[in-house]
Amino acid sequence: MSIFKSWRNPFKWNFFRSDDRLLLILIAVIVGSCSGLAAVALNRSILILFDWLHPFRHYWWAFILPAIGAALSSIFLEKIVNEGAGHGVPEVVYSVSSYGGLLRFRSSFSRIISSCLTIGSGGSAGPEAPVVMSGAAIGANIASFFSLNDRQRIIIVGCGAAGAISSIFNAPISGLVFSIEVILGEWKASNIVPIAIASVAGTEISRFLQGNSIAFAHHNFDITFFDIGASFGLAIFTAVVTIFLTRSLKTVRGISEKIQIPLWVRAAAGGCAVGIIGMFLPVVLGEGYHFIGSMINENFTQGLLVVAIALFAKIFATSLTLGSGGSGGIFAPCLVIGSLAGLTYYRALAIIYPSLSWVNEGCYALLGMAGLISGMLQAPLTGIFLIVEITGGYNVILPLLIVSSVSTTLCHYIEPASFYLKALVAKGQLLRPGTDARVLSDLSVPELLERDCLTVNQNMRLGEFIHIIKKSRRNIFPVEDEKTGRFLGLIHLDSIRSYIFNSDMYNAVFLWQIMDTDVDKVYPDDDLSEILNIMDRKHLFSIPVVANNKFIGIISKATLLDQYRKELMVQTLD
Amino acid sequence: MNHQLFHIFRNTPVGRETLLQSIYFCNQVGIAPVIYIPKHAKFLMYFKNEVVQIDLDNSYLTAPDTAIQHASELLEQGGFKPRFYTPKHYTASTLPDINTEFDYMCCPRSISDATSKITLGNIGAKVRKIVKAAFFPVLLTSPVFKEWHSITVFFGGSANAVNALRLGLQISDISGMPLNILTRLEKKNTRRDYEKMVQDQNMEDRLNRHLNKWLFFDKGKFEENLYDVPHDSFVVLGAYGHGLIRNILFGSKMESIHSTIYNNLLIVGPNYVANRLSL
Repeated sequence: MSIFKSWRNPFKWNFFRSDDRLLLILIAVIVGSCSGLAAVALNRSILILFDWLHPFRHYWWAFILPAIGAALSSIFLEKIVNEGAGHGVPEVVYSVSSYGGLLRFRSSFSRIISSCLTIGSGGSAGPEAPVVMSGAAIGANIASFFSLNDRQRIIIVGCGAAGAISSIFNAPISGLVFSIEVILGEWKASNIVPIAIASVAGTEISRFLQGNSIAFAHHNFDITFFDIGASFGLAIFTAVVTIFLTRSLKTVRGISEKIQIPLWVRAAAGGCAVGIIGMFLPVVLGEGYHFIGSMINENFTQGLLVVAIALFAKIFATSLTLGSGGSGGIFAPCLVIGSLAGLTYYRALAIIYPSLSWVNEGCYALLGMAGLISGMLQAPLTGIFLIVEITGGYNVILPLLIVSSVSTTLCHYIEPASFYLKALVAKGQLLRPGTDARVLSDLSVPELLERDCLTVNQNMRLGEFIHIIKKSRRNIFPVEDEKTGRFLGLIHLDSIRSYIFNSDMYNAVFLWQIMDTDVDKVYPDDDLSEILNIMDRKHLFSIPVVANNKFIGIISKATLLDQYRKELMVQTLD
Repeated sequence: MNHQLFHIFRNTPVGRETLLQSIYFCNQVGIAPVIYIPKHAKFLMYFKNEVVQIDLDNSYLTAPDTAIQHASELLEQGGFKPRFYTPKHYTASTLPDINTEFDYMCCPRSISDATSKITLGNIGAKVRKIVKAAFFPVLLTSPVFKEWHSITVFFGGSANAVNALRLGLQISDISGMPLNILTRLEKKNTRRDYEKMVQDQNMEDRLNRHLNKWLFFDKGKFEENLYDVPHDSFVVLGAYGHGLIRNILFGSKMESIHSTIYNNLLIVGPNYVANRLSL
């Protein structure tokens, strides 16, 4: 049995005792491989389901296929695994921010099954975010199994996310950058090394099982000066499309949540609407990678109007799928919408300036994808590296940098938080390492409680109180009810100085006459950020803590800031 | 009375009995109850190394409009100012995070197992997870409210049993109720060996002050020995003193006790830390 126990705590092994980074690297390989496998499993199962349903798509009733998929997905999530809908990335970031990356075991498979049902049946969503959730949960549970601490677990969660993205796109750098830019939000060597290893492991698993193929191989692009200039316009256009997509998702979700029907019915209705759109515009169905390929290779022959309609139809279909309770992510729809946006922009440009020699529409489709991804995730590096890796070339790097950075900046100006982090920011739950909110969230009232205050009761005379003052090293004295022990108020030495030096008052004044009853007090489960706000607002140096109407100690600003500094040092230690 | 017991309130007759037990426990031990009235059928508890999702059955969402009133009435009758817990953070919109910084938690015997509504059943998987992960002991109440007049600790010598004995002594100290200990002689240990275990933990003096009787069993089935637990005794026991494999092969004492006696149980898990918050 002791052998099994030592397995659970490898820090006790002599090999790892010298440097725990070795252990993290070993676990990163395991997690990267497992999340890579999960990504391949999801990818293959979506393809199998999509192909299996393909013959039925020619029938008039084919529009119900996405409805059935969305309903089954919703039932699976709500009734069988008891998890909420959604893609799960905010849940991963929230867990990393607030709970040291703890994630439920069921999350390691639930989103894979539900998103397979949604996307495989034709729902407009992507498999990337669900597989990120899955990889992160695999990482979290493996980290818990090995009894890693919070900081190490967070890195391993990042490894899971990186392995998943690397595997699904066959793009290791994108996995690494996505994990650090979006999930962890902290560029540190101690994070980068294990995550890079996990990305390699995830990619290798994908290459071993699916072959080393580039998703959207293309010809070389001959970028001209005009294209560089036009990329600024494309950045603005993709930013507008991004904002439109974000608002559309929010609106459809808002409307959907107001309708009081079972979730699976709601999801089915959304899927049904997508199915109907898909009968006229097949580009909206599923993850849509096939159509991206044809746009990049200039085989998407429809005219400007049809492309523009397809662009808005895809936005609407994605909003319906995800807003009504279908399961899936925004990554793949962003790529499709981005390529449609790039194509629309190119064709409009070609009509307005027919005499100029533009590179070609495939290049603009690529740039559009980068603009959408960067704007939606507000993660420019992820957008840049993803496009470079999935297209296998650096020759579009200059306009790519322009489109990604400008689109991110514009989107950030209009929507200060990215799609993934919006809800967390609104609730004040995005606590990035090293920030004020994060440091305070890692401290609690019981940790900072000072208990050396001497309490007095309200019926004590001033003369007796003078003796108490002599024994105390504090200048505040909590007053408690003599019988019940209830907290009644405070006596500040500063406010009773005039009485102290008048000995005539010693037997004439009771403490209830001089105590301050209008006192700000806090409770043990209050957030320290709120407590610090109260202290700043009211210019207090200390504040009493009360539980069940009884005084239990004080929080002083000096102790709080002292602990804050120590915690900050721990959090920013590399 | 700065320590707190976390209680999930169910606005049903069964829930009333459970809350009455919690209130009685709080009065005896000198702690305050904090009531959570669920608005969603699931919630998360983030422990140090594990996150546990609790899936409640729909009876916990019964008549939400009268739940606060019913719970308040019972608390006031018990001499407590009603205090309700409102989750501050949500992992998902319908998935609140429940604080784990409590000193005790009252769990129904099984949170989501339908059979527990009519029988004692087995301890539900979620309750077991809470017991394993929590810093606090878990109170499993009897199906119907009954007062208790003594404390019975099951002591088998494991680290968790030592913690249980320490907690039993503390409750006996505060409540003034006599303490009984039940020990089943195992692994060729003699009575003297168990007494030495207590001595080694420096609990002998306290034990002499509170101990009513210490029963040792070496014959009969464990379930038969349980007849000697007074019906009105509050039972304290340690859980998961052994590993998973041993529990699967030979069964768990906690499960046997739980499914055989109707007394209120206080279960001390492997991660229990006495007075962790010490407010």
